[in-house]
Amino acid sequence: MRRYVVVRIVSVLPTLLGVSFAVFLMVRLIPGTVVDQIIGTEGTYSAETVRSLRAFFGLDAPLHVQYGRWLWSALHGDLGTSWRTGLPVLQMILARLQVTAELTLGAMVVAMLIGVPLGILSARRENTALDHLVRVTSLFSLSIPVFWQATMLILAGSLWLNWAPPVDFVSPLAHPARNFGIMALPSLVLGTAAAAVFMRMTRSSLLEVMGQDFVRTARAKGLSERSVVWGHAFKNSLIPLITIAGIQVGYLLGGAVVTEEVFTLPGVGRLLLGAVVQRDYPLVQGTILFIAALFMLSNLAVDLLYAVIDPRIRRG
Amino acid sequence: MADPDIYHQLRRRHGLSRRDFLVATAVAAGMPAAVASAQSKSPRPGGTFISAKTTEAPSLEPNLEQALSRHRIDPLFYNRLVEWSAEGKLEPSLAQSWTTSADGKTWTFKLRQGVKFHNGREFVADDVKYTYERVLDPKLGSGGRGYLAAIEQIEVADKHTVRISTKQPSASLLAGMAGNWSSIVPREVADLRRTAVGTGPFVLQEWIPQSHLKARKNPDYWDKGRPYVDAVEIKIIPDEGNIIAQLRTGNIHHALLEDNKNYLLVKDDKRLIALRSPRLGFDMVNVNHGRKPFTDVRVRQALALAVDRTEILQAAASGLGSVTGPLTPAMKPWALPVETFKEWYTPNPDRAKKLLTEAGFPNGFKTTLKVIPTFPTMVAGAQVIAAQLKKIGVDAQIIQEEYGVWIKVITKPTFDFDLTMNITNGDADPDSLLYRRFHSVEKQWNNDGDPDIDALLDQGKLTVDQAKRKDVYDKVQRLMVDRAIQIWTFAPDMIDVTQNYVHYPQHFTTNYYGFRTVWLER
Repeated sequence: MRRYVVVRIVSVLPTLLGVSFAVFLMVRLIPGTVVDQIIGTEGTYSAETVRSLRAFFGLDAPLHVQYGRWLWSALHGDLGTSWRTGLPVLQMILARLQVTAELTLGAMVVAMLIGVPLGILSARRENTALDHLVRVTSLFSLSIPVFWQATMLILAGSLWLNWAPPVDFVSPLAHPARNFGIMALPSLVLGTAAAAVFMRMTRSSLLEVMGQDFVRTARAKGLSERSVVWGHAFKNSLIPLITIAGIQVGYLLGGAVVTEEVFTLPGVGRLLLGAVVQRDYPLVQGTILFIAALFMLSNLAVDLLYAVIDPRIRRG
Repeated sequence: MADPDIYHQLRRRHGLSRRDFLVATAVAAGMPAAVASAQSKSPRPGGTFISAKTTEAPSLEPNLEQALSRHRIDPLFYNRLVEWSAEGKLEPSLAQSWTTSADGKTWTFKLRQGVKFHNGREFVADDVKYTYERVLDPKLGSGGRGYLAAIEQIEVADKHTVRISTKQPSASLLAGMAGNWSSIVPREVADLRRTAVGTGPFVLQEWIPQSHLKARKNPDYWDKGRPYVDAVEIKIIPDEGNIIAQLRTGNIHHALLEDNKNYLLVKDDKRLIALRSPRLGFDMVNVNHGRKPFTDVRVRQALALAVDRTEILQAAASGLGSVTGPLTPAMKPWALPVETFKEWYTPNPDRAKKLLTEAGFPNGFKTTLKVIPTFPTMVAGAQVIAAQLKKIGVDAQIIQEEYGVWIKVITKPTFDFDLTMNITNGDADPDSLLYRRFHSVEKQWNNDGDPDIDALLDQGKLTVDQAKRKDVYDKVQRLMVDRAIQIWTFAPDMIDVTQNYVHYPQHFTTNYYGFRTVWLER
C-alpha cells in the first residue's frame, strides 16, 4: 500500500513539469503579447518605446532563457508577479481559490445527488418508459451549453420571480445563508451537466454488475431484491463512478471558468480568463499550473480511494 | 440633454407613454442644456449610487493606461485643465481662463485656486507641468502623447499660472488637454495604477479588480455642492444578461449598455428608464490600401456603394444608432449631415459593378473580412456586409480573430488583413480623431496615405479660426467619403438604463460616466 502511494505521488512530478512546459509554450504561441495589448490599436508609439516595453517584460530574451527563469522561480515557490496588476501570482490565486473550490464542490454534490439516484432508477427500470425519459433528459442537459443555461436562468429569475443571484461574494464562513443564495444557482447550473454523466455511468455500471454471477448467486440464495442491489451490486459498481468523479473535477474546474464569468463569482476561472485576454503570461502560466496540480491531486485522491474500496488494489 | 426629469414632467403634463418619450429622446439629445436644467427638481443629496459594467481596465493609471474602459471612470477621480461638457463643448475646469499670444504660439492659463488633491495637498502650476511632461515622455509610452504633441515647452509662471508654448499654432491643443490621457496628477504619487489621487468629486476607497470599485464623496471638491450622492459603487458583472437581471430586481441603479440589443429587454419595464443619446464612437470597416485590389479607388468605391448602412445598423444594433460619415453626428458642430454623402451612401449595386468592371474585376473577387467574436456588433455587422458584397460578386470570407490576435495582425506594421470590422470610442475634436488615424505619417487603420487628405489634415491642425477650420474639415469629410478611404457604417446610441427614481442628467458623448451630477429620489 505504501509503495503504491509513493509511486503515485512521484509520478505526478514529471506530469507537472510537462504541463509547465506546454503552458509556457502555448501562451507564447498565441499571437500578440502584453505589449501589443498595452499599445492597442489607437496609440502612437515609437519603435523605441515598444523595444523598451518588451525588455521590461523580459520578452526580448530567448524562449529557453524565459522558461528557465520562470521554472527556477516556480521551483522556489514563486509563481512570479502579474504583469498587469503587479501583485504576486500565487497570492492572487489563493485569494480566489476558495470560491472555485466551493463551486466545484457544490457542483459535484449536485451532480451526485441528481445523477446517482437517477442512474440507479434507470438501471432498475431498464428499457421502460421511465428509463428512456431519464436518458433523453440527461442527453438534453449534457447538450445545453453552460453559459446559455446560466444566462437564461438568470434572466428568467429576474423576469418571473423578481430575483437575481447576488453579485457580491460573501464567504460561507462569514454568512452561510447569504453564501448559499449566491452559490446555489451556479452550482446547480454547473452540476446538472455533470449529473448527466453520473447518471449514465451509474446506470451502465450497475447494469453490468447486475448481470454478474455473484448477483445471480445472491438472488439464488433468496435475498430480497433490495439487499441484492444495495448490499451486493451497488458497492461493486462504485469503482467506475469514483473514476468518473475524479475526471469530472477537471471538467468542473474548466466549466467553472464560464460559470464564474456569468455569475460574477471572483474565482480562479475568471482570473484565468482575464489573464489570457490581457496576455498576462505569468498569471496564465501560474493559474493553469495550479489548476493542473489540483486536477492531478484529485485524481491521486481517486486512486488512493480505489485502494480503500477495492482490497485487490490495496493488497496487490 | 435628455433628462429623466423631462420624462416625468412630460408624462404628467401630456400623458406621454414611455415609448413616446424614448422616441422623443433621440430628438431631445439636441435640446439645450438650459432647458433641461430649468425643468429639473432640486437635487436630493445622499445615498450610494450603484452602477455595473462588464469590463474594467487592468489599471486606473490616468495618464498611461490605454484600455478604453479606464477613460469612462476617470472623471470620478480627476480633473483636466479644460473638460468636455456632456453636450460636447470645451469648458474651463482646473484652468479658469486662458489667453493666447498674437502669433498663436503661447498660451497662458490661469489656474483655479484653493483646489486640493485627495491627499490634502494644494493643486499648483507645477502639477500641470509634471503631468504633461509625463504624458509626453516617450519612455512611458502614454497613448496621449499624440494629443499633446504640439507642446514645446511648459513654464510655471507663478503658483497659479502656466505658460505653454507650441511649435506652431495648434487648433486642437485645448481638445488635447481635455483628452483621455490629460488628467492632472500630483507629482509626489509615483504609482497610480492601483490608487487614484486627483482633484475630482470622488475619493477612491476600495478597488478589488474584477469585483468592484467603491468611492466616497470628496468633501473638499472645488465645485461646491457636488457631487450629490455620498458614495458610488461600480460593480463588475461580466455577463450583460446578469446586469439586466440586477437592474430588473433593483439591485443596481444604473448601467451603460455595451450591447444595445439588450435595450429590447428593458424598454418596456416600468421600473426602469432607458435613455438613448448620441455618442462619439462608431463602427466601421477598415480597408487595407496596401493590398490589391484595394489600392484601386474604384474598388473601394464599389464596396462603399454595395453596402446598405441602414441594414447594417438594423442587424448589428437593432437600429439603435445612426448612420455616420467620417465625423459622427455627436461631433457637433463639425459633422456634416449624412445626406451630404447620399451619392455614396445610397446602395447602388449596378454602379458598383460598373466600377468593378472598370477596375478589371467584372466577376468580382474573393477577399476576407476579419471580426472579433466577442464584439457583438462586429459579428452581426460582418454577416450583413458579406451578404451585401456578394451581390456585386465580392466574396468576403469572414475570419474570426481573438481580440489579442486581431490587435497584433491588423495594426502597423503587420497590416495582415484585407477588410476588417473595427470599433472606436471616437473623439470630440476632428484633428484628434482624424490626424492619427488617416494622415500618412501615422497610418493607423487602413494602411493608407492620400496626399490631398494629408494636406487638409495638416491645414486643419494649424487653423485656429473656427469658421475656417470647419471649412477645412467639411472638405476632409467629403474627400474621405468620395475616395472611400474606409467604410463608415454607424454610430450606436449610448443607452443608459437607470431605475425610475434615479436622476441622471449628464450623458457624455465621450462615454464618460455622468456621476458628478447624479442623484437619487429615494
